[in-house]
Amino acid sequence: RAELPPAEFERRVLRSAARHHYLRVRLELADGGARPNAAQFKQLVVSALRELHGEVGAALPVDVLTYEEKTLSAILRVISSGLVKLWSALTLLGFYQNRRCAFRVLQTSPFLLALSGNSRELVL
Amino acid sequence: QNTLNVCFSVGYSAVALNHVIDFKEKKQEIIKPVSPSELFPSLPIVQGTTKRIKVLTRLTLVVSDPSHCNLLRSTSANIRLYDIIAVFPKTEKLFHIACTTLDVDLVCINVTEKLPFYFRRPPVNMAIDRGIYFELLYTPAIKDSTMRRYTISNAISLMQICKGKNIVISSAAERPLELRGPYDVANLGLLFGLSESEAKAAVSTNCRATMLHGETRKTACGVVYTVKKPRKVEEEETTVPACKKAKTQA
Repeated sequence: RAELPPAEFERRVLRSAARHHYLRVRLELADGGARPNAAQFKQLVVSALRELHGEVGAALPVDVLTYEEKTLSAILRVISSGLVKLWSALTLLGFYQNRRCAFRVLQTSPFLLALSGNSRELVL
Repeated sequence: QNTLNVCFSVGYSAVALNHVIDFKEKKQEIIKPVSPSELFPSLPIVQGTTKRIKVLTRLTLVVSDPSHCNLLRSTSANIRLYDIIAVFPKTEKLFHIACTTLDVDLVCINVTEKLPFYFRRPPVNMAIDRGIYFELLYTPAIKDSTMRRYTISNAISLMQICKGKNIVISSAAERPLELRGPYDVANLGLLFGLSESEAKAAVSTNCRATMLHGETRKTACGVVYTVKKPRKVEEEETTVPACKKAKTQA
């Protein structure tokens, strides 16, 4: 048997390959009252950043890619270095127009395609 | 009860219901904890596994006087019914006593006001050796912006002394909207200065260690171990047989 040449492979580790991180979030409000539309939602996110991280945080480039008013869920895109700031700002947000609210982050991933499937909703 | 339902849907696998006893008011008696089986006839299953969610009971003692600690040593039957015991020291002496001699699982760190004392390294290191965890709450940070500053500043000063070990982050949620998911809370740990692995451990492994610490505190009374004496080999005479000695340590 002829010996095959030893397999050569090269290992490349990409620590911060993706430039953006995507978050699927849902806003939970106490019942009743008006629901925010897309512009108000974006303003809520920016004000949460401003409350926690100040003007520098509010200047973080955040985009709302989709927003559904019925379920109050959205997909946000943020630059990878700002993920911790955005996520912590959303977690610590307590009030929207003097009503209690909570942000639930359902999924987060550096790839948008990964947000389409949710392994937690699988019925075993 | 709604709060617990939200807990389960967000993805927690064990929840502890807290009962706070403040000793400043008179006539405080420790009442029996509400048994979890009364609240839920059947507990739902954890997401992704087949095990059921555990609901534990927990007692927090707010101590501002050394005489309050005597309650822990008393053989009141009701204390033994709680799974986890936490103490909330208000002065530096009590913090030292709690870390070194008291028989508790958690030491709560105040997040709602500026700490009246600074942490020192010796009691903190002793607490880490004994397996006691420090607890930080995050719900005040959601309610008020002043408390947010105190939470973060107290947490950072704690991190500098303990280097991120033995930290547990928990919520004191009274309403379902004050609760946050486990990964969100782990992210908050990053804000407090923990590294990523320490932050995730603060929500998962450290909490499990606290539960086990509580269990051993309830059940273990003594340790028995045997020590083998080393065999002495002498060249000329016959060897002395090794003897095993049983040692009991109360």
